[in-house]
Amino acid sequence: MIRVENLIYRYEPEAPDVLRGISLTIEEGAHTALIGPNGCGKTTLIRHLNALLLPVAGAVWVDGMKTADTASLREIRRLVGMVFQNPDSQIVGMTVEEDVAFGPGNLGLPSAEIRRRVDDCLKAVGMTGLEKRNTHTLSGGEKRLLSLAGVLAMDPRYIALDEPTAYLDPAAKQRVLDIIRRLPGEGIAIIHIAHDMRDVAGADRVLVMDQGRLLLAGTPAEVFRNAELLTSVGLDVPPGGGFK
Amino acid sequence: MIKLGQYLPGDTIVHRLDPRVKIASVVALSLLILGATTPESALVSIFLAAVVLSARLSLAQVAAALRPIVFFMALLFFVHLLFTGGKPLLSLAPLPLMITREGLAQGISVTWQFAGLVLGGAILTMTTLPSDLVAGIERLLRPLAKVGVPSQEIALMVAMALRFMPMILEEYERIRMAQMARGADFRTGSLSQRVRAVAMLAVPLLLAAFRRADELALAMEARGYRRGPRTQLRELKLAGRDLAALAVMAAFALMLFGTRAVS
Repeated sequence: MIRVENLIYRYEPEAPDVLRGISLTIEEGAHTALIGPNGCGKTTLIRHLNALLLPVAGAVWVDGMKTADTASLREIRRLVGMVFQNPDSQIVGMTVEEDVAFGPGNLGLPSAEIRRRVDDCLKAVGMTGLEKRNTHTLSGGEKRLLSLAGVLAMDPRYIALDEPTAYLDPAAKQRVLDIIRRLPGEGIAIIHIAHDMRDVAGADRVLVMDQGRLLLAGTPAEVFRNAELLTSVGLDVPPGGGFK
Repeated sequence: MIKLGQYLPGDTIVHRLDPRVKIASVVALSLLILGATTPESALVSIFLAAVVLSARLSLAQVAAALRPIVFFMALLFFVHLLFTGGKPLLSLAPLPLMITREGLAQGISVTWQFAGLVLGGAILTMTTLPSDLVAGIERLLRPLAKVGVPSQEIALMVAMALRFMPMILEEYERIRMAQMARGADFRTGSLSQRVRAVAMLAVPLLLAAFRRADELALAMEARGYRRGPRTQLRELKLAGRDLAALAVMAAFALMLFGTRAVS
């Protein structure tokens, strides 16, 4: 379980608070969608989940470990995977298989285990056969799937994704969403920043942020019932209230 | 894209050799080339030709690898041809220059050496995946880790530089287009105007590169990177063919030295 307690964050000491007292919990195997207008602090929030950012006040706990505690840093980074918005600046390897092997290599796993994970994770995202491809020549959708495979290879319990469907064509988008929706069933909790309200439909829980605060939380049906509130912060409500 | 010595996928014995063996062979060959006498250089040429053949590289591919240096080869040749003293073959009056027998010999020899060195390196990079090359360099440097050379960090840095080069080229192209769309002109105008226009590209390009480096550092941290030992997908292992190749290389070097001792 990830527990966020009264999290406050600002980028510079004199700057205004970006996160203004956020508390939430993320259960194991849950699928949480995070929505909110641009600049409301969604990305800042998820970067706290694996200690890329540390709270100015408040605390974040991952399976009982505090992110501010440097001794648990490595374990926290392994437990909470992060898929960034731009896959281009997340892919480190020259070839597909080497990129997936980057994380397990950092964990110091033996070569045979790295090979097993690379094969498993590429299969999980449907990229078997592309092992030797130069990462530069992949399509946008394939890059996104590769960055997901690279995170899966760490064997995480949670994966936070920052707008994983941005800039993708409908088919690629569907592939990414299918994988994201499958993972909670395999025991990996998903925290998913979404812009398109239709992407939220598969989530167990929707969190709505505005101006550094949590505005609403609940099942998609519960959240989309507050159409007026959502519209007032610049979000549109999907037709049919987000029901499938 | 840069075509110089770009990797050409293949499945020949040369492609399959351990990168360390190939790197060591290129170093050894380079030394032989630099120290070669005339009969030796013929032998080395035959050896290089044999490697090119067994790697199934076409003449066109070899020529493409050498094309970027043709100008320098010509320059080297003419400098040695025209400025070496000795027995005159041909006087270029009224110019105060003449072609000598020694100049001709030296020009040919130096040009051959230059071409040989570049070809050796090109065969290496054309038959070895960049990632294997980096792994090979890393493994060769690893003994130096004991004296504080961070071989794994160096290897990772080289690999990432190779990984991001095409991206930075793309970024350059994008910024150039964006500036042209807003009226920047890189093709006409005086030299100083054009230099200034290109300099205007450098600033946004550098800024973009720094921003990308920032994001990359964050992404690497998120995937558990920290300095210190890490493991690899593939640990290089010498196979029978690698030992055979090393033996061939050693035998060739010894043969050259042997002929030298006899003559």
